[in-house]
Amino acid sequence: MFNLLYKELRLAAHPNLFIFTALGVLVIVPAYPYGMVFLFGCLAPFITFMYGRETNDIHYTALLPVKKSDTVKAKFLLVILAQITQLMISLPFAVLRLYVLPEGNPAGIEANVAYYGFGFITYAIFNYIFLTYFFKSAHKVGNAFILAIIPASLVVLLMEVIVHFPGFVWFDRVEPSFLVRQLPILFVGIVIYIVSIFAAFKVSVRRFERVDL
Amino acid sequence: MHVLSVKGLSKRYPNFTLQNITFSIKPGRIMGLIGKNGAGKSTTLKSMLNLVHPDEGTIQMFGKDFKQNEESCKQDLGVVLGGIDFYNHKKLKDIAKVTKRFYKNWDEAAFQKYLQTFSLDPNKKVKELSTGMKVKFMIAIALSHRAKLLILDEPTSGLDPVSRDELLALFRQLVKGGERSILFSTHITSDLEKCADDITYIKDGKLLKSAEKSVFINSFQHLKEPGETGALSLEEIMIRTERRAYDV
Repeated sequence: MFNLLYKELRLAAHPNLFIFTALGVLVIVPAYPYGMVFLFGCLAPFITFMYGRETNDIHYTALLPVKKSDTVKAKFLLVILAQITQLMISLPFAVLRLYVLPEGNPAGIEANVAYYGFGFITYAIFNYIFLTYFFKSAHKVGNAFILAIIPASLVVLLMEVIVHFPGFVWFDRVEPSFLVRQLPILFVGIVIYIVSIFAAFKVSVRRFERVDL
Repeated sequence: MHVLSVKGLSKRYPNFTLQNITFSIKPGRIMGLIGKNGAGKSTTLKSMLNLVHPDEGTIQMFGKDFKQNEESCKQDLGVVLGGIDFYNHKKLKDIAKVTKRFYKNWDEAAFQKYLQTFSLDPNKKVKELSTGMKVKFMIAIALSHRAKLLILDEPTSGLDPVSRDELLALFRQLVKGGERSILFSTHITSDLEKCADDITYIKDGKLLKSAEKSVFINSFQHLKEPGETGALSLEEIMIRTERRAYDV
């Protein structure tokens, strides 16, 4: 598993993946729609997969002494690593902003517990559609991205808009009591993310087995 | 024992069918897979390697069923796909650094030696290599993990006559010890004259003949026209077998 991930990071990943992963820091920018962080997290695998097609990465992996399903596993590991790392990078800045930007975020949702819950849901939806569609052919990256980014963007849009409605203002709060109230959203997000990864992996492996490279 | 034994390999596409391909390779031998463009040479190689899903057929490699033992078979296998460049923007040393982690028998000293022998600069990027050098780099990788079988898809196409000759001479050297075998596809018949022990000929997705070179040539002598003396060359055999007249 480590070797597969090492291959992804050293050969398959486009430099852009590292930059977009680092964009977790954007949560420290004042008055900014922080949902953009997740959209960058969706764009990063798209660019890397395009780059992979250009460099014949899938062919190379398929010729290594690994199972055909390991080619799929390698890509999944890379996407998960990039997304989780991005959220981890953003975390200290989300804490820091409580002190340096106490007036909050007028542009949209705060970088709070609910925000991370929505993040996991966005990634879960994007990953499932993007990865399962991609492994149908192992080359139609553009179609996979368009199909996946539309619902992912709608979740981000919903998250950014909903906090402006009176009934949902608690989504936008950062006081400890509200953060606790938001915990179920995070929990649901993480569960959906995990279920989505396993389901997408199963479907992708089955689809990729049938692909003629 | 055969290094590779392909039996009844078939693959159906909407506009092309590879039918019932059967052949085998013994240790220390070079087999040339010939056929004109589009005959099914690459499909045969890719179906053997599970890159393409065959509809029927079994592949025995090193005495094991390839499909059941894909990972362990690939440990002893080196593949060079013609016309496909990997990681154009990466340096050779970076590709090797990653690749060696996957092979149990990787011999770093041997790899360094092959880089020197083939005059490959590890700091060069793939895109900076000529077609011949790219093939040599992939061969260096295969030899460094002590591959017992090399499968090369059109390794000589696109090479100048000198590089081609050099590569074919290298093939002969590689099998000299009797431990390695080579299967390579080509549509250049002089490659086979220079270097193949056995020939497998595919025409329109069907196996025409697979035999030792002299047996192969003899079996096509019925194509001789009246008055012709001397054996037909491989080129003549191929041209006469494939010849088509266009009514335009």
